[in-house]
Amino acid sequence: MNDLLLIIKKELSELLRDKKTIINSIVLPTLLVPILIFGAIKVTELINKNEKQKSVKIGLVNAPQNFVDIVRNDTLNKITNYDAAIDFKTLIDEGTIQTAVVFPLDWEQQMDSLTTSTVQIYRNGTKDNVNKRVSSMLETYNTRLKEQRIAQLQIPVEKMTPFQENYIEVGEQKELIGKRIGGFIPYLFILTMWGGCLLAAIDLVTGEKERKTIETTLSLPISKFKVLLGKAIVASILGFIPAVLNLVGLIAGLKLFDGIPDTLKLAINEMLNFQSVTMIMLLLIPFALFLAGFIIALVAGATTFKEAQSKATPIIMLIIIPLVLAMMPGIELTWATVPVPVLNIGLGVKEIMAGTIDMLQYVAILLSLIAFAVTAIYFSYKKFSDENAILK
Amino acid sequence: MIELKNLTKSFSVKTGKGFKKEITTVNAVDNVSFTCKPGRIFSLLGPNGAGKTTTLRMIAGIINPTSGTAIVDGVDISNGNDAVKKRIGFLTGSTGLYERLNPDETIDFFGKVYKLPSSELQERKEYLFEKLGINAFRKKRVGQMSTGMKQKVSIARTLIHDPEVLIFDEPTSGLDVITADSIIDLIRESKESNKTVIFSSHIMSEVDLLCDDLAIISKGAIIYNDSFDHFKKEMTAKNLTQEFINRVNQS
Repeated sequence: MNDLLLIIKKELSELLRDKKTIINSIVLPTLLVPILIFGAIKVTELINKNEKQKSVKIGLVNAPQNFVDIVRNDTLNKITNYDAAIDFKTLIDEGTIQTAVVFPLDWEQQMDSLTTSTVQIYRNGTKDNVNKRVSSMLETYNTRLKEQRIAQLQIPVEKMTPFQENYIEVGEQKELIGKRIGGFIPYLFILTMWGGCLLAAIDLVTGEKERKTIETTLSLPISKFKVLLGKAIVASILGFIPAVLNLVGLIAGLKLFDGIPDTLKLAINEMLNFQSVTMIMLLLIPFALFLAGFIIALVAGATTFKEAQSKATPIIMLIIIPLVLAMMPGIELTWATVPVPVLNIGLGVKEIMAGTIDMLQYVAILLSLIAFAVTAIYFSYKKFSDENAILK
Repeated sequence: MIELKNLTKSFSVKTGKGFKKEITTVNAVDNVSFTCKPGRIFSLLGPNGAGKTTTLRMIAGIINPTSGTAIVDGVDISNGNDAVKKRIGFLTGSTGLYERLNPDETIDFFGKVYKLPSSELQERKEYLFEKLGINAFRKKRVGQMSTGMKQKVSIARTLIHDPEVLIFDEPTSGLDVITADSIIDLIRESKESNKTVIFSSHIMSEVDLLCDDLAIISKGAIIYNDSFDHFKKEMTAKNLTQEFINRVNQS
């Protein structure tokens, strides 16, 4: 035990004196989520402001006066009147106008005879802001005409409204939001955990080869297993810390920044309570060991940092795919998904945050992750003991 | 004392292209036997790739032999490497130091690993730092030190547990003459302290300066094993280097 602690202390001291490790494992993970939250709020605000201030160039054909008034009410709209429908596609492509609304020539008669008319809207589907604003104006106009017709026909409003929908939410806000965004949170911290473990594992194994200290380490009167276990524990700590800092950053970001809806803030605060965070952390401990052991086994034969990175990097797909699956709405935590690493964490965290986790399944996930961690450590030990690989 | 008995190390080598792969077994060290006595310096000579490093790594417990064994200071290496490693000071051109630690931390780490009592560790560390002139840079990180400084720290870490057996694998390789001289001094002092010393080199002037007993290894097998005096008496070439080349070529 003492030998193991000596190795852990030595490796940690070495790694924490490396600027690269400090930036990647401590500074970036802490700042990442607050920056993302702050950035998202600011960017959304900026986009909304810009969109509102943008003028829309609208071409109108045979437009009735009351519709022209609606368009004119928004002072940013620039109207060009055309006598007849022309090649609007070219005009929109050239940027002369951004959209065109074409009313039929006999619009007034059709309205008077209370028939259904057709308005043609020329638009580019990719210009969301323009299309949203034009649709909104048309909807306002349509509603106004409907009301006029109802009044003209003297129909009571309730006769035109067979029923009203009244939704009563029986799920808790926490459950609702937990299921929706709970999948995103493990995506965030598992990726930073992977990054932390990867960097540390490569430094501790391949880095030792590059710095020519592997033979020194192997000449110590400490068993190879303890040396390997020490390295795996340190690599997992350097993966675990960024994940924890990610969560700390998320909580701090929610508390510090304005602009997040109060219901969302409250729900996330409720989700990230002491019990949920402890349960998530407990899952992350064996998972970090699993990742560390897995990466060490992968890079044990590599002789350079670059070679180690190229061996380990493609494996990130095995992390991303289950995480993306965990975010999909149809995929739930079942006994079939409980033993699948990464996917089980993704789904488990979602359930923990929603407050709907089945404790039996939680224990099963924990046990399966411990089993995977032990297997990964065993394989990394096998690779670390391979003289051809380690003394290459 | 070190006693090697039919020590053999085989490696599997994959050859061939595409799906046609053949695995051949190569004996890097083949039935090597020799004895190194305390108070004498044993030189293991051989060209590059002859099996010197592999032999020394097996003695030091870094790799395991395929067959045969070695008794190091009364401990059979097949009974467990850790007991052997505690009795050995191993210094080679490729036993680097941990760059992000300073000499103080490095020696403390090694002392603790060798389970030296705290007071003994401090006493021995101060003695070695004084003797090797490390005090001036004891708080400087290894990564920021010159090759000579690093070599001094390497010597200190090799000797911190006062091992009975010292193994030096091409210890002066790539070093300037002043730094190399400090290693030569160390080897000589170890002999005077009745330690068992084994060193490999292909610098014949060093061999001439230090050697008591000699073994030449070529293609994994021992082709000469006797005292250095006897080797010199048997010499037919005009100098040591030429004699060594002739014997390797004849093997």
